[in-house]
Amino acid sequence: MQQRRDLNQVHTNKVLLNGQLNVPKWWAPTVALLGIMVLIGFTAIGIMVNKGLGVTGLSRPVYWGLFITTFVFWVGISHAGIMISAILRLTQAEWRRPVTRAAELLTVFSLLTALFFPLMHAGRPWRIIYYIIPYDFSRGIYPNIRSPLIWDPVAISTYLTGSTLFLYVALIPDLGNLRDRTTGWKNALYTILALGWRGNPRQWQMQTIGGILLSALMLPIFVSVHSIVSWDFAIIPSVEGWHSTIFAPYFVIGAVHSGVSAVVTMMALMRWLWKWDDFIRPEHFDALARLLIVVATAWLGFTFLELIFAVYGLDAPELALREMQIFHWPWNLLFIIFLFTGYIIPVGMWLFKSVRSNIALMFWSSILVNIGMWLERYLIIVPGLARKQPFVFTWEAYRPSGLEWLILVWSFAWVTFLMLLFSRFFPLVPLFEQKESQVFTDDVKIGRAKVPAIIREID
Amino acid sequence: MSKTDTNTHNKGHHLPPKNVPFNEITKDLIATTVTGSKKIKQISILLSILSIIGIIALIVKYFADHDDSTKWGYVAALISFLLSVGGGAPMVGIAPVLAKANWVRPVTRISAIFSLTGVSTLILIIPLMMMLPPLMVDGVRRRSIWFEGPIYSPHVWDYVALMGLVLTGLALFYSAALPDFAAMREHSSGWRKNLGKTLSRGWIGTDSQWRTLRMRIGMFGTFYFLILIFVNFLFATDFAMSMVPGWRDAIFPMYHAITSLQGGVAIVVASLWIIRKYFKLEKYIHVDQFWSLSRLLFALTLLWIYFFYSAFIVFWYGRSANDIAWIELLITGPMMWVFLTGAFFIWIAPWWWLIWNKVRRSVNGPIIGAILILIGLFLDRLRLFVTAWSVPTESIHEKYLKIIPELVLPNYLDILIIIGGISLAFLPVLLISRVIPVLSIWEVQQFNLLAKPIKYMKTHGVLVAKPD
Amino acid sequence: MTTAEFGKQNWGMVVDIDKCTGCQACVLACQSENNIPLNTQNRFERARAISWIRVERYWEGDFPDVHARFIPILCQQCENAPCEPVCPVYATYHNSEGLNIQVYNRCVGTRYCANGCPFTVRFFNYWEPVWPDSLRNHLNPDVTVRSRGIMEKCSFCIQRIRRGVRTANKENRGIVDGEIQTACSQACPTSALVFGDLNDKESKVSKLKNDDRNYKLLPHLNLEQNVTYLAKVDPEKKIESHSEEAISHE
Repeated sequence: MQQRRDLNQVHTNKVLLNGQLNVPKWWAPTVALLGIMVLIGFTAIGIMVNKGLGVTGLSRPVYWGLFITTFVFWVGISHAGIMISAILRLTQAEWRRPVTRAAELLTVFSLLTALFFPLMHAGRPWRIIYYIIPYDFSRGIYPNIRSPLIWDPVAISTYLTGSTLFLYVALIPDLGNLRDRTTGWKNALYTILALGWRGNPRQWQMQTIGGILLSALMLPIFVSVHSIVSWDFAIIPSVEGWHSTIFAPYFVIGAVHSGVSAVVTMMALMRWLWKWDDFIRPEHFDALARLLIVVATAWLGFTFLELIFAVYGLDAPELALREMQIFHWPWNLLFIIFLFTGYIIPVGMWLFKSVRSNIALMFWSSILVNIGMWLERYLIIVPGLARKQPFVFTWEAYRPSGLEWLILVWSFAWVTFLMLLFSRFFPLVPLFEQKESQVFTDDVKIGRAKVPAIIREID
Repeated sequence: MSKTDTNTHNKGHHLPPKNVPFNEITKDLIATTVTGSKKIKQISILLSILSIIGIIALIVKYFADHDDSTKWGYVAALISFLLSVGGGAPMVGIAPVLAKANWVRPVTRISAIFSLTGVSTLILIIPLMMMLPPLMVDGVRRRSIWFEGPIYSPHVWDYVALMGLVLTGLALFYSAALPDFAAMREHSSGWRKNLGKTLSRGWIGTDSQWRTLRMRIGMFGTFYFLILIFVNFLFATDFAMSMVPGWRDAIFPMYHAITSLQGGVAIVVASLWIIRKYFKLEKYIHVDQFWSLSRLLFALTLLWIYFFYSAFIVFWYGRSANDIAWIELLITGPMMWVFLTGAFFIWIAPWWWLIWNKVRRSVNGPIIGAILILIGLFLDRLRLFVTAWSVPTESIHEKYLKIIPELVLPNYLDILIIIGGISLAFLPVLLISRVIPVLSIWEVQQFNLLAKPIKYMKTHGVLVAKPD
Repeated sequence: MTTAEFGKQNWGMVVDIDKCTGCQACVLACQSENNIPLNTQNRFERARAISWIRVERYWEGDFPDVHARFIPILCQQCENAPCEPVCPVYATYHNSEGLNIQVYNRCVGTRYCANGCPFTVRFFNYWEPVWPDSLRNHLNPDVTVRSRGIMEKCSFCIQRIRRGVRTANKENRGIVDGEIQTACSQACPTSALVFGDLNDKESKVSKLKNDDRNYKLLPHLNLEQNVTYLAKVDPEKKIESHSEEAISHE
């Protein structure tokens, strides 16, 4: 529950802008370290593109492996932003306010990262641009719009465009704020980006309408993106374990689960690193954890449905696949880890109020969720390929190579790197949202009790 | 142009609902248990006659058609429809309450009442369960979610789950009604006063009683939701999916549940509109309730197409023999026109209707959407269950459906059962309005207590308190 | 007999399991005809070997009554191919001759088609192909050497089809049945692989396709393959569906 706390606006400005105006000491060395990791990662990608996909552990039946898993994982993380900012905005959950910016940012950067994976995963990545942008009109060769791999870039780029706009619209008032507090080239930058923001009523009105419109428009995109990613797998009848009708909502709810958990991780880091204890408070973690319990349980229900209807068909190959996925080494270990980290441990923890408002515990439990969710994608994608074929004997022939692991690590370093870079120039907690929430909350006296209350608009 | 615009705007400008004194609320709402008794008596008698005819028709059908399960599709569709609508309705009063939405408070009673429709379902389903093909056909297990379970599993568990749903619904209804029974005890007269005395079980409104009440509502609400999902899961698989060889559709139970919520919200909107009009409750049922409910309705309409399409594209793109059989049976096959009309009523029409904020934000707009959805839901159930039951039992072990069965038309018994079943479902809902106010007195009071109209800057606002 | 024209045939193959001895001559012939890179030990160990046609071996029965069963698997040239609609760049499509065509130039190597293929007869070039110097002159000039990063698969020796039709067209005659042979069917010592035009009702392949023993693999997937099989005749046993047997095999 949102406890009302009076924070004056000068204090808010001062503290929330310290990423930009008063850079913390740890910032430069951390960014340098991450930069080195990013460089190493790009070198690895370069090597892979140069030498060919032989450097990965992929084989004949297992044509898709760790990269596609990681792609799905990052697309999943990207569902955090819209879930937090758009859905909670439309349902008027007040506690969303300090987190919105960070969540949207996570959306944009994780999508940017996700895009790398299918691109570098192709055999000839330098030719792939041709099917995203069909420039070859002269020969009348168009991309095949029946292919889910065409739907993917369309959905993802729409989502990326929308999220970027969404992020930017919410950033404008804060840019105006920064413009007034900087000098030199920074001032010039903020002046351009702030689009002449002065904070008059009309501008505020436009900004609000823009935000609400984008929220509503982004919702269908939000749902469609991960549905389309799931159809990459679900439409293929010949891979056991893939051809399931539940995949679309199952993937979306799983994405929300992992995305919101990633936001929790980020919030904890923000609170610790920039010392925003006044703004990112235990009750925010509490609210997110409650949301997560619901989401995680719904997701577990879908997992259960997926499994039970796989077995329900009583097809020998499907049964064999499920047996391998759950009972055979090493899949059984992965499956157990997935179940425990994805649901049992974190949700078990969140049931307790003391955990929900303990930042350190929330941090670690949210990381567990994302380990579990990564494994979930791995367990969906790889076993079906490794164990599908009735007419081929090369089964279970996949072990990710060191290079693939390196690139997986790179993706995390890359997202963090981009985030930190962003935080150097733009505030991670939206100042105006913070102030607005101060204005929109009040206390009412009911009998003897003092109850926190929210002001709602009528028209 | 701009002038007329401002005018309409001013007309449509909604002032926050005025606070009504508590005594007046109690008086007005208790009065609803008496108003229009004569008319309700007549309707009840009519419904009772129809129900009895329906039950007789069901018994006749059981003896006439008990050797041919392909003729039972319409009964299955009817039960699915009643289960969806009646089972989904109480969720309207549960989910928003758990999310602490204030607008929902006046709606909780009317939505919980619909768990009484379960009485009809519990009666109708008995002969249908006799018609289920046994788990062991010709010495081989058929596909079912009961796998190696005892052969009476579907019958026992489905009935137990259904009964659990009805009982939990009633428990929710009753535990939330305690303060109102107490109010009847204090402010009513005659048998209603005595009934209130008995049923209020010594409610005097102490702190601990309120705490227990809130706890019970939360507990029964959560429990109801879980059982509802479970019942949908069981009903969708046992009574539709497992009747068709090769229909392996993991989303179908969720589809059934989502449409159930859709039907539930629709019936709540419809009944809210009716009681507002005939019980003259304009003071307590505001545009706000319709607005929020129709937003829900709109969202659920979108979810219908999402869940439907998630399944459809997998079958349509997959093109395996199994996939093609699914599409031919349920979509392009015998019930194609029913499917198309159903999709129009459950999705396209309400979608284009409810997408307009002006429509959603009115009293008469949402009810049209709700009626469209109820018709669409019924047609959708017909195309799912009639086609599923029309598959002959002999083909149950096949890998996929090889011959698409012919369209089965309803005979006069089916029509009588449908009319009777629906009457039987709504009869107790109607009668309960004589026993207890259809709007919960204490919830309406709380609604008033927690939302305070204020003037904010230059505009009007509501200050909504959010107690823990 | 009308003059042979391109696009008027429907090429197909019938594989007689009863005649297959598992000698692998077809595999060898295919490797040399189609410029398939050498499958080294490393490639086999990493499960990256490329072999457009392969002979799968199944053991049937318990010791001492054990039988080896062979089934040659090659691209089934499905009319309703799962690999085709998923390709984002139309690198694989179906032509009017019933062939499932792989266009090397368009392929970007998403490997989606290979996931869609239930027979795993699509192969990815993980490395640039290399031949020892001694073998460089053995390459077939009619067949493209595939670079790394693209998919390849059985083409029904399309270079031979083209040459055969062109020759017949030039000589103003129709195609004689058996005139055009794929490398594998030509090499098969027991004539277990029969290739020909399914539109020609008199061809050997058409007749075999109407045989009682004829069946398709994985019928439930509704693939409408142009490659069909003739079931094994086992004097001791009744004819059984090989596809079912193969599915339940673990």
